[in-house]
This record gives sequence, structure tokens and C-alpha cells, in this order.
Amino acid sequence: MSKRSILLGNEAIARGIVEAGCEIATAYPGTPSSEILPAVAAYSDQLGTKTAVEWGANEKVAYEMAVSASFGGKRTCCIMKQVGLNVAADPFMSTAHFDLKGGFLLVVSDDPGPHSSQTEQDSRYFAMFAKVPCFDPSTAEEAKEMVFDAYDLSERHGIVTMLRPTGKVDHARQDVPLRDEVLPPKKDEFKKDPKRWVCLPAGVRVNHPRLNDKNDVIRNEFEKDYEKYNYIVPAKGTARLGIIAGGTTFAFLSDMIRTSGRDDIEILKIGTPVPLPVKLCEEFIARHEKVLVLEQTYPVIETQLNDRNKIMGRWNGFVPRAGELLPELIEEIIAKCLGDEVETSIDEDVLSAMEEMQITPRPPMLCPGCPHRASFFAIRKALPKAITPSDIGCYTLGIMQKGIDSAIDMGAAVTAASGFYLASKVDGEERPVVATIGDSTFFHSGLTGLASAVYNRHAFVLAILDNRITAMTGGQSSPNVGAKLRKGDQGVQIDLEQVCRGCGVSYIKTVEAYDVDENVDVVKDAWAYAWENKEPAVLIFKHPCITILKEPPTPRPVRMDPEVCIGCKYCITSFNCPGLVFDESSKKAYIDERYCVNCGVCMSVCPHGAIVLREEA
Amino acid sequence: MQFVIVGTGGQGILFASKALGHIAMEKGRSVVGSEVHGMAQRGGSVVSHFKVGEYLSPLVKVGEADVLLAFDQNEAVRNLHYLRDGGTLVVNLYDPKAFQNDRLQSSLDRRKIEVHPIEGYSILKEHMGGRFLFLNVLILGAMCGAGVGGVSVDEMNQAISDLAPPRFVEENLKVLKLGHEAAR
Ligand code: SF4
Ligand code: SF4
Repeated sequence: MSKRSILLGNEAIARGIVEAGCEIATAYPGTPSSEILPAVAAYSDQLGTKTAVEWGANEKVAYEMAVSASFGGKRTCCIMKQVGLNVAADPFMSTAHFDLKGGFLLVVSDDPGPHSSQTEQDSRYFAMFAKVPCFDPSTAEEAKEMVFDAYDLSERHGIVTMLRPTGKVDHARQDVPLRDEVLPPKKDEFKKDPKRWVCLPAGVRVNHPRLNDKNDVIRNEFEKDYEKYNYIVPAKGTARLGIIAGGTTFAFLSDMIRTSGRDDIEILKIGTPVPLPVKLCEEFIARHEKVLVLEQTYPVIETQLNDRNKIMGRWNGFVPRAGELLPELIEEIIAKCLGDEVETSIDEDVLSAMEEMQITPRPPMLCPGCPHRASFFAIRKALPKAITPSDIGCYTLGIMQKGIDSAIDMGAAVTAASGFYLASKVDGEERPVVATIGDSTFFHSGLTGLASAVYNRHAFVLAILDNRITAMTGGQSSPNVGAKLRKGDQGVQIDLEQVCRGCGVSYIKTVEAYDVDENVDVVKDAWAYAWENKEPAVLIFKHPCITILKEPPTPRPVRMDPEVCIGCKYCITSFNCPGLVFDESSKKAYIDERYCVNCGVCMSVCPHGAIVLREEA
Repeated sequence: MQFVIVGTGGQGILFASKALGHIAMEKGRSVVGSEVHGMAQRGGSVVSHFKVGEYLSPLVKVGEADVLLAFDQNEAVRNLHYLRDGGTLVVNLYDPKAFQNDRLQSSLDRRKIEVHPIEGYSILKEHMGGRFLFLNVLILGAMCGAGVGGVSVDEMNQAISDLAPPRFVEENLKVLKLGHEAAR
């Protein structure tokens, strides 16, 4: 181990995956895990391995591909974010019982905080639920190192192992050691053995007790042989407090002790929270009068302790039961434990300055020039009373445009549309429903919902917002685009119209998302058809995401005519482009050229015609 | 040395920490920081942390940053609490009048915060045809001009040449110089 290089945590994990000899890696993109798979491809090319890398259409698909590929003895892995594991929960639970042959690593990134997720769930609980060992890294470097140990553990015990980084590990940027050599690949020697590879109920009677035995053995190993992840950092002086810490909270505690010179805290660092090395913890607890447990996000370590009498943590609410444990919060909690004063960082002057300057946090918004904004606008204008379920992706930000009435999880735009339709059908009333979903999300889990809706005769308009990319997670490809992860590795492009036709949809139209005026009529027409024929009508709003454009499109530079603008703010409230701002002093809207990309769409938006084409001099 | 870099999504904040990391690595220092991805990048407020030295955690604690690089004046105010007393603020002003707010100025004075303002958008409008995507390098230039962060303008020059896409290196170096001059 000679070289060090600054890597993103996700790149460090990817590097570990390739160095550890993994030959099949699959994923579905999801923040904060998305950068891992592309980095696996890059390092594989760099280090000359033949590792197959694939985006599955969803996490269940990705998981089943990767785990099956390990049945013959190869090292494989599957990568996703925490909510992705909900989608892959089915195969995860089944294969947790299996006696695996090859090493199989499941990487699940959690998002405490959460910064870009619909839940704050803790995947370590899923590990506990499935009785699968879990590694919880504190830093990017440790995450990389854990990959090797996770594979080793998986192979020795024939068990799925989970690496569970949190966002601050995934998106840390840190100097990390690199190995030049790659562990040798293993041959695929799949042997037919239905008892082993078919999940019949009868197998469970054997598999479940065996899994329990494996857990006992692994717990024992974690107690004794994994000192590099489970260890004590003694206090420099007399310890007034013991802290059991896992994940990024440990990293912060180390920094705090180093910079503040704090000498009254002893730490037990736990890197393998499931199954918890309970004895190690109990010996530590016995030596301290007070013990604080700091972990992200649920009380997973804490609830595995047999005696929680002395414990302060998330379980008993001493540590907030939700949210990210940021450094300043941890410091406050420690002070509370020890009965010390907490210094406040609140500056009244700045607070009132913020009020006077009207400073509020800027929420995330659809980008200027984003085709989704135009689509939402046309839909709302066509059918202002429509119920508009939507989905998970950039377009969820359409909530700022009042373009979204519900969003549950991937694919639920379609099924929610069915639900809203059924609710109004029972009352016998016509209530338009227009669902919006992204192209990648549609393939992820919209398809089955559409088949179900056609079969059951549900009247709604499904608008597939086809921007040729999975944008929110950083621009991955999807089946309708056809491009694959490695350049030159071409997939088959699946045509959205044909897929919908195959599902039995008869009304399908593809439109240019920027053509707001025409699309208003198209949406009305689609709904009329859906209602009359009692079946879903599909509109594909097509326009590439502006973040993937290499060359900008022909600009349609706009200008605001202050003579015409009456200051009604309609453009701002219903279109919400960052390029449109309201000037409180003149009571007129203006174009903020810092953000405007000259897409020209807002010309269709102002009902008074105040936004006009700018004649270029 | 601990940096906090703030602005809004799409302003090229990640490039700033990349450049800082590159320079530190060249000097054989350890680095750790945090990037912002996903939803927060879509035009929303963005905070990125960066630490040079023997640290493990990618987060800067409130009240401990040596330097606050602000791509946007409002984000600067919202994140002032990250700075330690006596720290340095390098800020891109859009509406300098508003920044003269009395309460704000009195807090800056009281906490002995050294402020280096630049009017980035006007500079880029005048010299770069309004290509605001160069804002990140302009701020880095201003930081060097202010003589903070432990980074010299020569080191930054090298980092930009190494990191910027080849066909934009020349323009980036020009912007770096503009920023350097503006903050001196
Ligand atoms: S530009 Fe048009 S929509 Fe916007 S405030 Fe002025 S009149 Fe209203
Ligand atoms: S032209 Fe209008 S809609 Fe397009 S980016 Fe500029 S302000 Fe926004």
C-alpha cells in the first residue's frame, strides 16, 4: 500500500470492490450511493479487470442478478440506497437464508438527515431483520478496508454481508490508500443443487437454524477478531463518561478529542453493529458510571444491549430520536450528559440582520430551462382541477409549481392515479387525474402499475417526463436511452411508446415538452379520451435534461417589458423559474440573468404578454 | 485549516474544494471534506466542508472554520456561525448595499471577522462576457488575493491548470487573476 489519492467515499468503496476481485457489480442509482457503480467501471478498466457493471432497471432486479451470479463462486456485489433496499427486500430476505458459495456484498447507503430521501430508515435494522452481518464505516478509508473483510466473511460463512455507509461517508472527499494489485478472480463453478438454491418452505426448517448458528459464530468473531473495527480509545485523563459510537459520529468524536484536548471521555468504537459484539459492550459499560450511545440513525446498537439501565441514547430519547448527529449537536449532548454549560452559537445581531435582509434558505428547484417545468405548467393550465400524483426524481421538485399532489415512492405515480380514479369512480364523478413520472422511474416500477391500470380499466392520463436521463442522481442512463455504463458498451434501446402499446394502452402521444401552448390542448384531449374509453392515456413529454446538453440549443433570449408587466406574479408562482424574480420596489417581475438560460419557455407563461423575445443586437 | 464553502447549487462549489484538496495533497497533507449531492444541488442552498490536516470527520463544527468562502452574500450571512472569531470571509456580493446592514456589520466587527468582498457578477460581466460559470475560480482567486487559507496564488495557478478541462485552462487562469486583483 503505497499510493494515496483523494477520493470520494463512494470512489473509495468502488476501488475496494475492484481490488477485492469482485467480478459482477450491479446497482440502481440513488443518492447518496450513485457514484459507486460508475467508479467500479472506471477502476476496473484502469486495473484491467473484466468486472461486469450493470444498472438494473430497479434494485430488486439488480440484487437478484448480482446474488445469483455469486452462486457459482464468484465475488459479486449490489449497490443501492436505503429506500432501494425496500424494493429489494424480497430477494434480500430469501437469500439471507441461503448457504451462499461466492462472496456477495450488499452496499446500502443511508441518508440520515435526510438530504435527498423520503425516509430516514436505518439499514442496519434491515440487517438485523434478515440476520445478516453489517459493517458500519466511520470514514471513507475504513469503508474501503471493510469491503475486503466483508467479502472474506461472506465467503467463509456463505452469508450475505452488508456494508452500510451513510451519506457523510459516501460524499466525504478524503485521501485514501490504493493497492496496485487486485485479488485473483474465482472461477464460476455453479453446481445444480435445488435444495441449496431453491427457496422452498421446507428449506427454511434447515436454513433458519443454520442462519442462527452462523450469527452466533460471527458475533463471536466480532467480539475477538475484529479489533481493527471494534476498539477502545482510552481517555487521556480520568474518564467521566463512556461513549459507544458507530459510523460518522466516531469520526467526529476523534476530531473533537484531538482539537479540544478533551481528556475525560473513553470511547468504544463499534464498526460491526450487527450482530453486535455484546460482551465487548457490556464490559465497557460495566467500567463506566454513565454511558452514552451515539449512532446514526436508529438505536440499533442500543437495542441489542441486554441491560439499558445506564444507557443514554436514542432509544430512551436522551439523544434525539430522529435526524443527523451533527458535530455541534453531539457536543451539546455530551455537555448535557456531564452537566456542563453549553455555549450557544446564536448571534442575535445576525438573526435580526437576516430578518431585515429577508434571507431564507433557498430551496432546491427545477433548473432554469428544465423541460419538466414546462410540462407541469401545460398540465396545470389544461386541467386546473386535476389531481396530479407524481413520483420520485427531479420532477418531485414540481411541488414548488403546485404540480404535485402526492408522491409515495418509485412508481407510485401510476398506482396512485389508479387509486384516485377508483375513489372518484365510486362516487360516479368525473375528476381528471394526470400522473407524472420520469422515464427511468417508469422502468423502475411504473410498468407493472400501468399493466394493472389497463387491465382494470382506470381512466387517467399518464405523463411520462422523458428527459433522456436519470437526472437527480447525477445523470445515469436508463432502458429507453439504451446507453450503458461503459462507453462503447451499447445496450438495446427500449422504445417507450412500444412498451406502453405492449401493455395495452391505445392512446399514446409523444410531444415536445417546451411547446407549452400546443401541449395544453394535447393534455385536454388525452383526458377526454381516457375518460370516455375508461382506460389510461399516455403522453410522453420529451426534451433532454439541460444538464446533459453538450451544446446549448438555439437560444431564445427573452426580455421583460416593464410597460406591459402588471406585477401579478403569475409567472413566479405558477412557473417558478429561478430566472424570474420579482422586484419589490418597482412591483414588476424581471429576468435575473445570473440564472436565465434563454430557453424562451416563459414567453408562453405571462398571460399579459410581458415576456417577449429580445432582438439580439 | 478548516474551510466552509457556501452558495447555491450549480455555482461550481465542488470545484473549489477539489482545487483546495489538490493543493494540500501536493504538499503531502491529509484532507477530508464533504460534498453535496442530489436534491440539494438543484439550485438550493449548498454547504460544503473541507479540512486540511489530521482530521477524520468531514464536517466542520459550528464556530471552528478558519475561512468561509461564500459564492452568494445571503448564503454568507446564513452560514456566518461556522466561522470562528477572527476568521476570514471571502464573499461574492450581488447587492453590496444590503450587505451594509448595521446589525450584520456590528456582528462582523465584534467577532473580528476579516471580510474580503468582491462583486463577482459585475467582474464577470465586464471581462468574461457574463459567463457566470467562472464564479468558482474567481472566488478562489479572491481567496489567494486576500492571502488566507494558506494557499498562494502560484499554487492555485498550478491547481487550476491541472484540474480545469484543457480547453478552458487559459480562461480560468485569466479569471483567477481577476479574482486575485479584486481582493487585494
Ligand atoms: S411578467 Fe406577466 S405574469 Fe409575471 S408578474 Fe409581470 S404580468 Fe404577471
Ligand atoms: S427564458 Fe424564461 S423560462 Fe427560460 S430560463 Fe430564462 S427566465 Fe427561465
